Amino acid sequence: MRILTLIRQVLDAQEGVHIAANQIDRTGRKLVMDTMDEYGVEEALRLRERGAQAEIIAVAVGPAGVEEALRSALAMGADRAIHVEADVELDAIALSSVVAQIARSEGAELILCGGQQSDWDSQALGAATAERLNWPQATWTRTLELSGSSLSGKHDTEYGVESFEVQLPAVITTQQGLNEPRYPTLPNIMKAKRKQIRKDSLEQYGVQPKLRRKGVVVQTTQRLRKIFDGKDALTAAAQLVNSLRNEAGVIQ
Amino acid sequence: MSTFAASFTAKRTSGGSFLIEDLLPEDIFTPEDFTEEQKQIAQTTSQFADEQVLASIHEIEAKNYEVTKRLMREAGDLGLMSVDVPEEYGGLELDKVTSTLIGDRISVSGSFSVTFMAHVGIGMLPVVWYGTSQQKEKYLPRLASGEWIASYALSESSAGSDAMNIKTRATLSPDGRHYILNGEKMWISNAGMASLFTIFAKIDGEKFTAFLIEAGTPGLTVGKEEHKLGIRGSSTCPLILADCYVPVENVLGEVGKGHQIAFNILNVGRYKLAAGAIGASRNALRDAIRYGRERIAFGKPITSFGLVQEKIAESAAGIYAGEAVVYRVVGAIDAGLASVDKSAPDYSMQVQKAIEEFAVECSILKFWGSEMLERVVDHVLQLHGGYGYVEEYPAERAYRDARINRIFEGTNEINRLITTGWMIKRAMQGRLALLPAIKKVMDEVMAGPGERNGFHGTLADERALLANAKKLGLFCAGVASQKFGMELADQQEVMGMLADILAEVLVLDSVVLRTAKMAGRNALGVKLAKYYAARSMRVIVNAAERVIGAVAEGDMLRTQMVILRRLTKYDPINTVALGRDIASAMVEAGRYTIQRSVA
Repeated sequence: MRILTLIRQVLDAQEGVHIAANQIDRTGRKLVMDTMDEYGVEEALRLRERGAQAEIIAVAVGPAGVEEALRSALAMGADRAIHVEADVELDAIALSSVVAQIARSEGAELILCGGQQSDWDSQALGAATAERLNWPQATWTRTLELSGSSLSGKHDTEYGVESFEVQLPAVITTQQGLNEPRYPTLPNIMKAKRKQIRKDSLEQYGVQPKLRRKGVVVQTTQRLRKIFDGKDALTAAAQLVNSLRNEAGVIQ
Repeated sequence: MSTFAASFTAKRTSGGSFLIEDLLPEDIFTPEDFTEEQKQIAQTTSQFADEQVLASIHEIEAKNYEVTKRLMREAGDLGLMSVDVPEEYGGLELDKVTSTLIGDRISVSGSFSVTFMAHVGIGMLPVVWYGTSQQKEKYLPRLASGEWIASYALSESSAGSDAMNIKTRATLSPDGRHYILNGEKMWISNAGMASLFTIFAKIDGEKFTAFLIEAGTPGLTVGKEEHKLGIRGSSTCPLILADCYVPVENVLGEVGKGHQIAFNILNVGRYKLAAGAIGASRNALRDAIRYGRERIAFGKPITSFGLVQEKIAESAAGIYAGEAVVYRVVGAIDAGLASVDKSAPDYSMQVQKAIEEFAVECSILKFWGSEMLERVVDHVLQLHGGYGYVEEYPAERAYRDARINRIFEGTNEINRLITTGWMIKRAMQGRLALLPAIKKVMDEVMAGPGERNGFHGTLADERALLANAKKLGLFCAGVASQKFGMELADQQEVMGMLADILAEVLVLDSVVLRTAKMAGRNALGVKLAKYYAARSMRVIVNAAERVIGAVAEGDMLRTQMVILRRLTKYDPINTVALGRDIASAMVEAGRYTIQRSVA
């Protein structure tokens, strides 16, 4: 069976965010595989280690630098990678079209991707992909098990934790706690050198971004360093509202 | 040599040649030349260090060896300790830059990095290089996996710097099947955790030999833990050998040739120590900037203040220079190793010779690197103010941990003597064309003022400084030799001053070449280079003046001082503006960086 793991590259959490030319400036910044996507790669590896006969393909859409993130996935243990080279940023809906096409052409049965993007917070990618493929999806997955062509597990919903069972093919999105992603070991890093990264162009997929970015602004947090005595809740609340309205100016 | 060779190999050079030769930027290996795999390996190491080692720092410091041993096994599982082990024993056999990079990135905790480096370096390398196939088969896989920890025991209570004077004796048993060892060892790292010891003793009080002794061997006792100023999580104990029976099969290398093992191992330990110093410096600076951005005084974060920025800039420049010089030297070692035939029967010997070629550079790395770290941790502690003095913040631990680096792996005094001593020895042996170079400089400077600065481009001033620094180094070596002749080796203070000049020449050379190799793509690198060069010249001038003061007097002194001034004529740069600029880049990034965002 073929498993696709979708990965994106994001700013490392410790990097400061800067705007340049109306975009987030990534030049010279530390970029890493989105941790949410790492859970996906790791889960694919564990499914295989627990007995599934699987070829694991890491997929990423993005500029040249994204190759580094794909190499990390290969170094973790993915078998090969597909890099759709694109200099334009794609929103989740547009991206899902590329993923769906790849899933069909590769004959994939399982797609793993992050439940939410670490940078733009979109949760749409998994769902949009599943829609296009007409596959079931389980989002915010906590545990996963494969038995034959049947996936079972637990995932989070608004109301609590739900058990599910689904027949492949399916889309599974991840969350923190699904697993602890492994560090690429040195032998695997060296082996990954020989693994294939197929380069495709975005044109091959006939996809355009659905969103156009108009502007980017960084909201700064400011510490006013005020402490309200909370013994009398009503008074404290009034003081807080007053402060927010008249001092911080963040409410009317 | 590994199957996966680095994509860039430095030019083949010889040890000590940095003083008499001018390389081109493309001749040296720089951190910008790391391959994808090396960067990934660095990333795995850093993540392991930050997420696993630092997370357990209190347990480590409390001497909870079960935690340390677990971390060592995890490091083994990642392959971090297999880098210098031959493939046939389950190793990865990668290049020296890669193993140095690991030593650099793992150094977030002084205690753990000593445990790790003592194991991987002085612990395992003797077996890799001198072990018989039986010994390698028996021990290397378990050492590489971290299941067993290795320890190296040379020093004794009365024999540290003069290692040749050890008293531990070995006598062959009547049936010829064992050596019986009696004696003691002192300051043995990893002793409290180790399963395998490499112990040096003199057979019949004469033949200096190394023995592999497993923990638990009757007659080998590990003494009590030392209560140290720093690296408290690293095990340091004396060993007592009382009629310890060691099978003759456990002699390591040849009888009577143990000193070869000792000296060769030290070269590696020295460059690795420098790599660890850089890693520790980066880590400490990150802590300082993190603290400085949050700490408010007079209504502003303290990183806004000049005297804070100066410390950040000095630290950053030291790290930049350290990276340049360490990877330049180790890259040069790899270049020498590239031509060594892996299948040759004396492969290990050739590897050691290739490293020994750069013994001078390794000694420089050791004393320069440890002192650079010292300056950084001192600044970092100061930047934390009162919080630098208490255990809740990591600054005081870094400060205490750093201190040992000037003492072990050969004291900095010994390493300075080796630096100058071996440069001269090589010159005498004809391995280094030092004497002709000295003569050329002496003739040149005695002839009168030379041409003006003929350098152009971004680092023109620094390249001119460097060219003059080399001449000054040769000049000082020349006048010192003229004055003392063969007795120069006994003039330790002058030898030390000359070593300081040699060190700054090597470091500055590496800084200029590294920066030039980035070919204008990195404005921050240029600033770091200029900032470092300004300090470097002050050190060189100071040492040169002291040399002249020690070797000359009267008219001779005045003549030499004229030459000194001619060779050190430069306009001071604005280190204040430069320092503020450098500091702002570091503060904005939250850590040491050579990238600057287009903000």
